Amino acid sequence: MVYYIGAFGLIIIGLYVLMVKRNLIKMIIGISLINTGLNLFLISVGFIKLGTAPIFSKPGLNPKIMVDPLPQAMVLTAIVISVATLAMALALAIRLYEHHGTLDMGKIKDQKW
Amino acid sequence: MNPVYLIIIPLLSAFSIPLFGLISKKLVKFIPPLAMLFNAVYAILLIPQILKKPIVVLMGGYSLPFGINLFVGPLGIIFTGVIAIIGFIVSFYAINYIKEGDKEKYHMLYLLLLTGATGAVLTGDIFNLFVFCEILCISSFALVADLGDKRSIESSVKYLIQGSVGSGFMLLGIGLLYGQFGTLNMAHLAQIITEKYGAAQSIPIDLFIPFVFVIIGFGIEGSIFPLNAWLPDAHSSAPSTISAVLSGLAIEIGLYAIIRFVFTIFGITSILPALAILGLITLVIGEITAFAQANIKRMLAYSSIGQLGLIFFAISIGTSEAITGGLFQFLTHAFSKALLFLSVGYMIYRTKSMEISSFKGIGKKMPFASLAFLIGSFSLVGLPLFMGFSSKFIIVKSAILKNSTLFNILIMVVLLCTIIEGAYFFKVIQTIYFKKSNNIEIKKAPATAVIAFFILIIIIIGLGIYPNEVFKILQCGATELLDKSQYIRSVLG
Amino acid sequence: MIINILLIIAFGGAFLVYLAGKISGKLRNILSIIISLVILTLIVMLQGKEIEVNYFHFFNFPLMFRINVLSWFFALLISFLTTLSLIFSLNYMKGKENLDFYYLMLLLVNASMLAIVLSGDLLSFYIFWETMSWSTFLLISYNKGKAINAALKYIIMSIAGSLAMLLAIILIYIKFQSFDILFISTHINMSSQNFAILIFLLLSIGFGVKSAIVPLHAWLPDAHAEAPSPFSAILSGILIKMGIYGFLLLFYVILGLKILLSLNIWGIKLNYIFALLGAISVLVPSMIAIFQTDAKRVLAWSSIGQIGYIAIGITIGSSIGTAGGLFHLFSHTIFKALLFFSIAAVEYRTGTRDLNKLGGLMKKMPIVFIGCLISVLGLIGIPLTNGFVSKWLIYKALFLNQNYFLLFIALISTWAAILYGFKILHHIFLGQLSQEHIKVKKAPLGMQIPIMILSFLVLLFGIFPGLALKTINKLIVNIGFKSLSVNLFGIVSETGPLNIINIFAGLMAILLLIIIVFKLGKKKTNIKQDDNYAAGSYIPIDKYHFTSNFYAPLFGIIKPLLIDHIDNFYLWVANRIRSLSDKVRKIYCGNVNVYVIYIIGFAALLIILKIGLKLW
Repeated sequence: MVYYIGAFGLIIIGLYVLMVKRNLIKMIIGISLINTGLNLFLISVGFIKLGTAPIFSKPGLNPKIMVDPLPQAMVLTAIVISVATLAMALALAIRLYEHHGTLDMGKIKDQKW
Repeated sequence: MNPVYLIIIPLLSAFSIPLFGLISKKLVKFIPPLAMLFNAVYAILLIPQILKKPIVVLMGGYSLPFGINLFVGPLGIIFTGVIAIIGFIVSFYAINYIKEGDKEKYHMLYLLLLTGATGAVLTGDIFNLFVFCEILCISSFALVADLGDKRSIESSVKYLIQGSVGSGFMLLGIGLLYGQFGTLNMAHLAQIITEKYGAAQSIPIDLFIPFVFVIIGFGIEGSIFPLNAWLPDAHSSAPSTISAVLSGLAIEIGLYAIIRFVFTIFGITSILPALAILGLITLVIGEITAFAQANIKRMLAYSSIGQLGLIFFAISIGTSEAITGGLFQFLTHAFSKALLFLSVGYMIYRTKSMEISSFKGIGKKMPFASLAFLIGSFSLVGLPLFMGFSSKFIIVKSAILKNSTLFNILIMVVLLCTIIEGAYFFKVIQTIYFKKSNNIEIKKAPATAVIAFFILIIIIIGLGIYPNEVFKILQCGATELLDKSQYIRSVLG
Repeated sequence: MIINILLIIAFGGAFLVYLAGKISGKLRNILSIIISLVILTLIVMLQGKEIEVNYFHFFNFPLMFRINVLSWFFALLISFLTTLSLIFSLNYMKGKENLDFYYLMLLLVNASMLAIVLSGDLLSFYIFWETMSWSTFLLISYNKGKAINAALKYIIMSIAGSLAMLLAIILIYIKFQSFDILFISTHINMSSQNFAILIFLLLSIGFGVKSAIVPLHAWLPDAHAEAPSPFSAILSGILIKMGIYGFLLLFYVILGLKILLSLNIWGIKLNYIFALLGAISVLVPSMIAIFQTDAKRVLAWSSIGQIGYIAIGITIGSSIGTAGGLFHLFSHTIFKALLFFSIAAVEYRTGTRDLNKLGGLMKKMPIVFIGCLISVLGLIGIPLTNGFVSKWLIYKALFLNQNYFLLFIALISTWAAILYGFKILHHIFLGQLSQEHIKVKKAPLGMQIPIMILSFLVLLFGIFPGLALKTINKLIVNIGFKSLSVNLFGIVSETGPLNIINIFAGLMAILLLIIIVFKLGKKKTNIKQDDNYAAGSYIPIDKYHFTSNFYAPLFGIIKPLLIDHIDNFYLWVANRIRSLSDKVRKIYCGNVNVYVIYIIGFAALLIILKIGLKLW
């Protein structure tokens, strides 16, 4: 349960940052928080307390206490994706700063209406 | 024939582009057209087989429902075919159009985008759908910023922020679904949901929450009304080829995902009227905002929002004919909007301005581009002899056939929007053809562009006059969406 | 088969002409005339035939062409007028830019009009209707400048109209599972009154926009005035009659006379409302026409008025009225085209069509003057012109129907027609020749030929109305009316025959009387113009042009009635949409935080709706 609270807490903090903070770097951190929260959430979906890795490394292991491997695979993918997004975002932030001289998204409003 | 090549070939050629770039920089731009031509031919050849029986491909040899599978049904092949055809035409056009910047990266990202799109419509696994959508999204973030100027970077950043929120919601929804039902396979998920909630009158809340998250996530990609603020920025500041692909294909992928979730996986039909109204609001907002635009690409982008709303509305009517009409409208929008963006591309390139007023009298100097614009806009407005009429006709007919007061009123609003749409398109046509030009020397569009225009024009007029065969294929697509149990059976046996 | 060939020639010819134009201008001109003549001959050959061909399947709907008396009558008018207009264009358009485009569109409009009247089912009717709309739009825009707004207004109204039509067509299809007009007409009595009213209203919007019946007329004055003149003749001569053709189809083929007369909303008969709208279309635009100073605007407003007559004629629902309406349609096609041609000829030579700048051209352009005179006589309805016959029939029908109110309005409007007709004649051809125009030459032969042909026809059908009335009689029998007994000189009927011979005799007698009176009266004296007019001081010759501000006292009285409120209303709506658009655009405010709030707010909204309101 606590994992879920932690995960959703992170997601909500991330969303809050995106809604309120105007600095692009902070917003990128917000995105990162959301992604971390999501990864935590996915992991905890498959988590079993005192479980073992889902490998029959020694005989007599009970499959019921093995954690679900699928969310882990998902999280791996999701991490890769979020890293890609993050890299993309940071690269864009640099270029944005070159063009506008600021990272305040409240001031960068050329594209509107 | 194995449909997996539809994904593998573009993916491999995408990553082979930097390698070819080592040999010759000039070679690079011919790879995307070739890859897409292969896809188009392959997809068309697959159609007869798929209409008989959908093809299910197991990836990695895991038996279902554990492994990832591809489900190539009529709907998937329709989308794949359109993606490949438009991808081919646009990349053919791009041979001459893309001159500045890093060409290798452009072409590679372009192919990745199309791979993502193709994969998303062919996959039978929701997490895989998410991954392909992300491939599409991330490559389109980069492509929007391709020009590297002030406006495109800004748009790209905004697109990225909203896109990330969207992908967050997607993943959250998928995680919730997995947590509840323990499977990621669409057919299996659909089976479990039917067994568990099939008899329920209203949607149970634990199904509704993931549903909302998924709808929001893909809705951002599919630009439903309050979620589409990124679209006009991104579409107007990307290179025109990318605008064509984003507008014609990328947003439809979001739409595809939504209808897949609504019809096949959740099978929620009680929410359809609400979605229809949502689609209608999107349509109204899109058309009204497009009405007063002075920037041509923004105008086209807003008009895309409107068209998306129309497709969404049509599909949400929920009858077989209406879904067919919606899919047809998707074809119309994809081809016509691609044509419009491509024709506008060279006009902007030659006049160095996106203001509609700078296109005065360009009709004489760039006859083919202007003709392309004319036909594209006629088609979107829905004049007969062009494919827009075929689709709008089916939509109006099915909405009235539905015989409910709600849809009768909604279809009136749709028709009123068509008037607004006509107004702004015809205004541009007049500017292009009938206003005194400002006497600047302007060269014609090059041959590659003209050929691209003519392929699209032939498709538009051909389907406008003789839509029968395509209509049959689309009907199979509609049947696939509506017949959930058939889908489950053909995947799980 | 012959219909297919006809339309293939019509549509294919249009594009062929365009391609020919890329080779040489001469070839294009000759080819366009040949094509229009071929079409005309084919249509003449089709006289009296009733053919039906299935030519295509659009989705699963069979499309067909069908020719009968009604469509033959219209097809003949269309191809005849287009041929004349093309001949006229040869000179008029010489040296203008984009001629290939002009001829392409002219022939395309022609072809689509032919296809409309030959359509045997509603779907192909609609398809070609739209083809006509957009090609007309492109052609109206041709003149650039002011024409652009005129064309935009036209296309927006016509899209609105055709969407209403589309709705009606689909409703009909859903009811009867067929688009075939004949099939529908035989099954229509199975439907309810409300359905018929709905169809009536929706289709009326569609047809009303094209034919410019009053609340839907706003596009017409601008479009007619700004289009290239040879095309204005087509617009006014036949294109707006496509709306009338649609009404005929709706009233007498689809609904049928019985149902038409029984339609009512709260006891008010719909056909009476329609006739009233027709009456308003006659009265107000005719008045407005009096005060225009642009010659083509006068004609444009007059077109709305004359369409009103036709509308009254065809809605009364009696044989004689419908015959009158159709005959007026026929007459109007001829004399309005003639008027447009005359004015175009004047414009071609003088370079202006501002009535206040013209004058005294009678001796300079005699043929054009005679043409204009005859057409104005026809417009007013002087005996021995075709306009007389048609108006007589309409009045007669109103009289027999005891519609004295409509009769009264129609009569008043004729006076208005006299006023503006005379104004055109006087301002252009009579009075003082302006100094600028002293060197004006005759109109070229290519312009004189169409003018002469049409003048001849005005008189021919005025003296021998039976020539056309026979076809019209067949036509009204075809759409379900009693037959009229027609002879060469008019109508033989118990309730007051129309006989041109008697009228001719009476007219001659009056003429004789006038001549005698004048002969007996005082001899006229010629006074030099600069004699003693200005109390001895010299006045430059230009100042003798006293033709501006005609009818000023009358204008003072009825001015407040003549503002085009309807047009203003449409403009107001357009402006509202524009400002609405500017407001709605603000949603996309450019601030990415706000966009994220939209997304999250939308998610929250959906969940709140679910939990709070228990929707879904």
